Amino acid sequence: MSAILQTPKDWPSVLLARAGAKDPGNIDEAVQSGAFDGLRRAIRELGPEGTTAAVEAAGLRGRGGAGHPTAAKWRTAAGTEARERFVVANGYGADPAASTDRTLIEADPYAVIEGATIAAFAAGAEQVFLSVRATDTTAVTRLQAAVDAASSRNFIGDDVLGSGRRIEVEVRPVQGAYMLGEETVLLKALDGKRGQPEQRPPHPATRGFRNAPTVVQNVQTLAAVPAILTGRKGAAGTILVDLRGHERSGVAEVPLGTPLRDIVELGGKPAAGRKLKAVVVGGPTGGILPPDQLDTAYSYEDLRAVGAHIGSGSVIVADDRACVVDLARLLTRYAADEACGKTIPCRIGVRRLAEIGERLSTGTSRGGDLGLLEDLAADVVGSALCDHERLATLPMMSGLRYFRDEVDAHYLRGDCPAGVCRTVRLATDRAPVGAPA
Amino acid sequence: MELLRATVPGLGIVKGMALTLRRFFEPKATVMYPEMPPDIATKFRGRLQLLYDENGSLKCETCFQCAQACPIECIDMGGMDTKGRFHVHWGPPETYGERREESAMRRSGRTVPDQAYEHFASFDLDTVDEILEGYDHDPKHMLQILEATQAAFGYLPVAAIKRISERTGAWYAMVYGTATFYGHLRFEPPTAGGGPVGVAARRPSDDGYVTALGASLGGGSAAGGADSAARPPRSPKKGRVQ
Ligand SMILES: Cc1cc2nc3c(=O)[nH]c(=O)nc-3n(C[C@H](O)[C@H](O)[C@H](O)COP(=O)(O)O)c2cc1C
Ligand code: SF4
Ligand code: FES
Repeated sequence: MSAILQTPKDWPSVLLARAGAKDPGNIDEAVQSGAFDGLRRAIRELGPEGTTAAVEAAGLRGRGGAGHPTAAKWRTAAGTEARERFVVANGYGADPAASTDRTLIEADPYAVIEGATIAAFAAGAEQVFLSVRATDTTAVTRLQAAVDAASSRNFIGDDVLGSGRRIEVEVRPVQGAYMLGEETVLLKALDGKRGQPEQRPPHPATRGFRNAPTVVQNVQTLAAVPAILTGRKGAAGTILVDLRGHERSGVAEVPLGTPLRDIVELGGKPAAGRKLKAVVVGGPTGGILPPDQLDTAYSYEDLRAVGAHIGSGSVIVADDRACVVDLARLLTRYAADEACGKTIPCRIGVRRLAEIGERLSTGTSRGGDLGLLEDLAADVVGSALCDHERLATLPMMSGLRYFRDEVDAHYLRGDCPAGVCRTVRLATDRAPVGAPA
Repeated sequence: MELLRATVPGLGIVKGMALTLRRFFEPKATVMYPEMPPDIATKFRGRLQLLYDENGSLKCETCFQCAQACPIECIDMGGMDTKGRFHVHWGPPETYGERREESAMRRSGRTVPDQAYEHFASFDLDTVDEILEGYDHDPKHMLQILEATQAAFGYLPVAAIKRISERTGAWYAMVYGTATFYGHLRFEPPTAGGGPVGVAARRPSDDGYVTALGASLGGGSAAGGADSAARPPRSPKKGRVQ
């Protein structure tokens, strides 16, 4: 589990409310502090439609990155004619540099189990899969133990809380590539198939796991549900952020809409004599934002408007020792390597974007590269099958948008102002970088 | 003019016939295939050719989409996949005729002599057959079959992948695609150095990415925040809470 960062007193603590527990796996302690109260209310008071309506009224949206309204998915799944339905909790945590979902599972496995059970109740599903990254062994064992404990108390299983409803919960460790986090790929992985995204519509809520209606929900989304049903204030409004700050790093629960500046400040100040240069928001396909965008609210729409996104919840600060071109090159290369190969613009286009980045950072750019970058990025976005390629252009495009001077220094002069890229200078009248005088 | 067209009956037919006559005396472009086969060298097999881009790098990204799409499985390939792993190709060259016959024989249940494959045949395929038997040759259990095969051999030998493809009837490209997608499956024997093996093995690119990210930031942000080698070691107290 990553460190949990201290946040200001007036920020609500919903997802990590039980994070301080001595033993997060202890079901008695969890129940004492309110676990499964939400499930009880859903079953005894609200009923499936009432539960969905309550989640809708709270305005809960998916924490997996895209921010889809949660209740809409439940309603679609419940309203689709089918013999069986499924709920899948997405706890894969695709971004290797972010550990929000894993931290949540380790800190409060019962919230995830309860939320998933409520979702199954509302959507009319009998089977829940909790998918976790197989290499996160602590999360896997803790979640499994919690499922066993919850099942021995009839919170899940054949007769949920004496209601006669059957909801089986199964922990499914999965492992694969970055793309496994994408919902249609995850559904394939649960079925042991090659992981490549599917065309949508039909969305998984109508046709998902084994062609049955399937609600795929990020674990944070699910963990917020019990809090909503028990009427906790601000329950639908927080999200976990994995901050890699100047002095401190860790996971923090922040209210959606918090200015980026406040999040960055949780990580402390730049080292003496340094200053903040950029913030990478959204993980490997995140946008690289300059300090003058720090007033942007950390919310789905506002981040997209400035060329970043919530994505994996990762927020990484870089001071003036970093080179934006190098960062963008690295992120784009990772995104290209992880592309699944199904769509040609993604498989080849993102690779070509990465190569443009690599040419910039080695000082071997060709005339027209920047124009090509913009054209190609537009084409890749325009012909995307899954969100990966739509987002994979963000690092390079935000770099170009906000750090034009630095990009131009690389492009026109083969020069890296931050001294990170080992460029081959193009101009013959200058010594190559690093050459003895 | 309008009046004329409306009043002279049969003018349209005459115009149409005029066109027919004109075309009749023009040289013909129709190819009388299959009565008259085109003049093609006898050895021509419609060979596939991989193209290079203007920078001299192969345009093929070894994505296997073409192999997967080809109904008679005449395409196979070798090379690095997008995860930087090397795949040895087992088939005869991508030559239409040869592979068509082989495919047809295979589909009719006969064994197919395959020289390129014999090169790998020193494997104990009985083990693979037993595994396949255990899963009823059912391609729906592909992941389990591959995992069991890796448990038996330590990795997925090419010969074993081919056998699985033959016996389950799943496309080789599909079996291979499934195998490349899961991080714990490997195509080469574990290194003698004893790196992580089997289910515990991490995909190299994850740690590689986190390390590279740390390097690119040049110490400008605190280490960790993540899942990584870069994370400071856990205190023994925390490590105990399992
Ligand atoms: C490339 C890619 C990777 C993704 N990785 C994750 C992930 O690791 N965890 C996650 O919950 N959602 C991930 N998503 C989003 C899921 O596809 C899906 O939208 C989400 O799990 C739905 O849950 P939500 O509505 O609760 O957000 C990813 C999407 C893409 C395109
Ligand atoms: S493997 Fe993919 S890139 Fe290569 S030739 Fe086939 S379809 Fe094209
Ligand atoms: S990554 Fe394969 S279709 Fe998008």
